Amino acid sequence: MRIEAIIQPSRFESVKEALHQIGVEGMTVSEVRGHGRQKGHTETYRGREYEVDLLPKIKIEMVLPYNLVDGAVQTILKTARTGKIGDGKIFLSKVDEAIRIRDEERGEGAL
Amino acid sequence: MGIPSTPFTVLRDFYAEEFARIEREFRASSNGRVATQGRAALLDRVILDLSREFLAPELNDLRKLCLVALGGYGRRELFPHSDVDLMFLWEDASIESRYREGTQAICRALWDLRLRVSPTHRFLSECEKFQPDNPEFNISVLDSRYLEGDRGLFERLRNRALPHMIAGGWSDLLRDLAELTEQRHRKEGDTIFHLEPNLKNSPGGLRDYHVAWWVGLISKMEKAGMWATPEDIWPAKALQDMDKAFEFLAAARCFLHYRQGRHDNALSYELQAAAAARGIGVENGRAIDPAEWMRIYFRHARAVYALCTQLLDETLPAPAKLRGFLGWKSSLLDSGFYVAGTRLSLLEPSGVHEPQRLLDVFRYVAKHGARLSREAEDQIHEALPSIFDSGAALPSLWSNLREILLAPHAAEALRAMHSSGLLVRLFPEFAVIDSLVVRDYYHHYTVDAHSFMAIENIHRLREAEKNWERPFANLFSELEEPELLFLSLLFHDVGKGMPCGDHVAGSLDAIENVFARLDLKPEQADTVRFLIRDHLAMSANLLRRDIFDLETIRVFAEEVGTPERLKLLCLFTYADIRAVNPEALTPWKAQSLWQLYVLTANYLSRSLDEERFHAESGDLQFVDRIFPLVSSTASREELASFLEGLPRRYLFAHSAEEIASHFPMARKLKENNVQLRIDHRRQIYALTLLATDRPFLFAGVSGTLASWGMDIWKAEAFANAAGVVVDTFHFTDPHKTLELNPSELLRLQKSIEDVLTGAISRETLLRGRAGAQSKPQPKVSVPTQIRFDDSSSPHSTLMEIVTQDRPGLLFHLSSTLANFGCNIEVALIDTEGQRALDTFYLTFGGAKLRPDAQEQLRVRLLAEG
Repeated sequence: MRIEAIIQPSRFESVKEALHQIGVEGMTVSEVRGHGRQKGHTETYRGREYEVDLLPKIKIEMVLPYNLVDGAVQTILKTARTGKIGDGKIFLSKVDEAIRIRDEERGEGAL
Repeated sequence: MGIPSTPFTVLRDFYAEEFARIEREFRASSNGRVATQGRAALLDRVILDLSREFLAPELNDLRKLCLVALGGYGRRELFPHSDVDLMFLWEDASIESRYREGTQAICRALWDLRLRVSPTHRFLSECEKFQPDNPEFNISVLDSRYLEGDRGLFERLRNRALPHMIAGGWSDLLRDLAELTEQRHRKEGDTIFHLEPNLKNSPGGLRDYHVAWWVGLISKMEKAGMWATPEDIWPAKALQDMDKAFEFLAAARCFLHYRQGRHDNALSYELQAAAAARGIGVENGRAIDPAEWMRIYFRHARAVYALCTQLLDETLPAPAKLRGFLGWKSSLLDSGFYVAGTRLSLLEPSGVHEPQRLLDVFRYVAKHGARLSREAEDQIHEALPSIFDSGAALPSLWSNLREILLAPHAAEALRAMHSSGLLVRLFPEFAVIDSLVVRDYYHHYTVDAHSFMAIENIHRLREAEKNWERPFANLFSELEEPELLFLSLLFHDVGKGMPCGDHVAGSLDAIENVFARLDLKPEQADTVRFLIRDHLAMSANLLRRDIFDLETIRVFAEEVGTPERLKLLCLFTYADIRAVNPEALTPWKAQSLWQLYVLTANYLSRSLDEERFHAESGDLQFVDRIFPLVSSTASREELASFLEGLPRRYLFAHSAEEIASHFPMARKLKENNVQLRIDHRRQIYALTLLATDRPFLFAGVSGTLASWGMDIWKAEAFANAAGVVVDTFHFTDPHKTLELNPSELLRLQKSIEDVLTGAISRETLLRGRAGAQSKPQPKVSVPTQIRFDDSSSPHSTLMEIVTQDRPGLLFHLSSTLANFGCNIEVALIDTEGQRALDTFYLTFGGAKLRPDAQEQLRVRLLAEG
């Protein structure tokens, strides 16, 4: 399964650490911007309007064997939650195949 | 070793066995030069065999065709997995068609041996001409070496065609070489001090070694019409250094190729450790610590980089910025040095034995970007013991260092000071981070190089091109004392070289020793301490806190204290992250940093009403800090009473010494209800006013200053709970009235007192002003924006106004506010170029302004424009 989580930057270190603790070793991390219901706002600084409409977020992507998925999702939910609007989203999707480039191993062994 | 014959499998086995033999011999000797020569010789034999098979059994019979080794193969420096550059040189087209199939068969056989062969086919006539669209070929053909075939044809290539090509295109060749080198250096961060360098392409690597060779080769051919040897073109000392550097780099690169089994020149941490354990390039091949091994690498890379860049600089015309200084020659000569091309040389080496003259050299480098010639660097290095060991008095270190730090090429000057040994002589604290490798996944550069690069990152903001860089560039232009930022950046990481667990604590210890040699004011030293102590605070907030949470911002703003410190810290963070590696400061991070800055800056200017000193709320630490500095007989309670109700910003914006000097002024208000003082620091005058609050107070001062032609660029107005106003105005004297007539300062002071006490009416002031001021034409049009905010303060309405700065603006604004019936509780006045940026905390009848009053005030301010 592929897990894509969009979380608050401030929660990233904790989420990463918690995922490592439950055995999730690999992940891809991107710096992204966006908004959901938590719309941005406009700041003024020294007379200049400054759009803060796209807020900074961290996107974590992982492809995990089924037995780790629930644990990973629960870990992200628990660790990334602050209770405020803007905590992010988790998306799950199925992956047809995984291939390790180095030795061309396929399936779960490649994860 | 006999010459093998086909079939191909025999040739393949022969190549594999010989390759393995050379590798075994390298493992035993670690001699990279021998290994690369051995592989070149092996290739020579293979190509000889293939040529006999596919071109002619007796190669002496070959006419009008010869095989030529190019590039590294031509130099007999063929690394284990490097490309093989091979040229088939034809006399004319007739011969090409005859042998074309045979040359293709040779290439196929070489590829089948899994060799990375890059074949080139050229007519002799093509080699006579400089090829503007193929700089790599123009350069690789300089290292051409005869392999097989028509020797006469090769002689014509070496003795006629290539000299002809160089004679016609030497300046283009050098320009291409310089551009390719500059691009490569820029890609590698323009520093030799990479933690995981590329042995070939990093500055100071083997490519630079060859650039130094090619520059000499081209110059010698252009001037003397003959091919050169290294002895002909490199100075004796440089030749020795370059030879040693090549031995080391060649050994290390062979080690990498053999170990990785491929053409990989990246010297990773793991490979550094392995090379150090094997003693690669080390005398007697003894195992040493990886950090020590890397210091040897940096020493060699420094020698290669210095000669390569100097030779390039000497052969190219000086950039326009330095050419302009040729007319300046006499004053340069007076200083004991001159600039040729972009390199600075000493006229009389003994001149730099005089400390101020020595520092003048680096002040010049910092200002104009010239680089020291290798000879000058050596001469300075040799002069240092006589200066520092003799106990001779040094000139004012801070004024010299300050000038260097503020100049646009400060980083270049600091690097030159470090290379020559001067920086460590002046600041021994810096020695612990000389070429220091601190291994982590993020840092690309040694600690000293990182510090110089951070300083460079700030200076480069002067030419900010990207949108996300511009806000930081504006911030840099607003700094009051940028030298403190640079000083902090220079020493912020010296703790990394100290035997303590916390590098920040180490750096703070070290900076105290540095302060002992610099005559900084106490508040300046405090700012530097703050920047070093909290230099990771903004990064930590970005990574670990929700920066859109007001509480995060409140706590951070409290730590920072003042807008000026916030600006310094923001720029420090920008420069520090950007100096970690070329990709470390992504636009995402830069924008997030800017958002944190804006949110905190706005908090600082919009929270003044709430964030006030209250003795009962445990704010007595301020009293503890200030009271020992109070020289009167006052009690702690009296001091606390003076501070009661003042915005905390006042306590952060002023040093303890300054507040301690305000307090006696407040006590004297019983005798005279206007207390005034004007201080002068460089071009700026600072007026401090303490008075009991009254209408038109702020307008009176700003109006008087305007009527005297003074330009107010910053002001703050605060009041304590007892209604004592503490106002500060920073102004310049554009007409030099006070500078040319020092006695006028007293008259100005008297004039302000007269206005505030009513001895001169405001109308008189206005009449004087009307005659005195003429409106200068604005360079940039700034439309007026007025914004009211009722939410930031529980007691006041904030009015933020941005408008065109002009003489008397503050008087006009504050008079309008006073006439409207508003009381200015707090004022923060600032300017940015021709934009005035003013924030007033206003009350009307002791309460916030109602919406209709806000609208009326807006209309009146705009009408009175």
